[in-house]
Amino acid sequence: MATNCKLKRLNAGRDHIADNYQAPLSLSGIAKCSYMSPYHFLRVFKDTYGETPNEFLIRLRVEQAKKMLITENFSVSEICEKVGYTSLGSFSSLFLKQVGVAPTLYRRRLWALSTEVYRFPSQAIPACYAYNFLGKLPK
Amino acid sequence: MITSIAHTTIYVLNQDEALDFYKNKLGFEVGDDMKVEGDFRWLTVYPKSKSQLQLVLAEPKEEPMFTKDSAEKIRSLIEEGAFGAGVFETENCQKTYEELVAKGVEFIQPPTEQLYGVEAMGIDNSGNWFSLVQR
Repeated sequence: MATNCKLKRLNAGRDHIADNYQAPLSLSGIAKCSYMSPYHFLRVFKDTYGETPNEFLIRLRVEQAKKMLITENFSVSEICEKVGYTSLGSFSSLFLKQVGVAPTLYRRRLWALSTEVYRFPSQAIPACYAYNFLGKLPK
Repeated sequence: MITSIAHTTIYVLNQDEALDFYKNKLGFEVGDDMKVEGDFRWLTVYPKSKSQLQLVLAEPKEEPMFTKDSAEKIRSLIEEGAFGAGVFETENCQKTYEELVAKGVEFIQPPTEQLYGVEAMGIDNSGNWFSLVQR
């Protein structure tokens, strides 16, 4: 585990990724925010957070894409660009790997389940919460 | 075999204000912030760490969650400080305490030696208290 001071510097790099996930990011640029060499930053980041900076970035982009797919009416290509990818192919395959289904299918499935437009269906949250908060038992 | 805890709930008075507190004061990250059918906002936060535990920041609302009377009772209990948000761990309790105080976080107990480590006790902006522990 990183020391308090190192953790603060590391968090600065992590925050830089979170604040700029839609922009092109380089490991050396992110590592600079933490005053570390790219290799050292990569190693300590993975050690501290359990994922690499790139895995963290992909997770943020995919999570944002999931939200936009359901709550916005943008096309998949537009969402791909908005979350920071230039290649629709790369975005779709990363999305498929993370979520288990392609972006279009994800949108179609969740929209079909929801009773309201541009809202996630109750099935998107853990069933105990859906029951507690929304009074809905899973079908 | 159960391997970890994924979500636990903290009832808050206002989700926007609670998000500001947990994100901008405590330094947590947003897990989910989703609009769910039934005008429900699924909002989770988590500390920057390996931990997979997400805190669900939920407002106690009337039907179907609670009766009107129960929702009002829970809201007043939160304001009274009847609920604890849990234990947050830190590498250096004194330092983190000082940083949080500088950000305006209210503490009811400064860092104190306990049998299990150094602990300070703070309150979130709804009224839930939490421990800040260095083991």
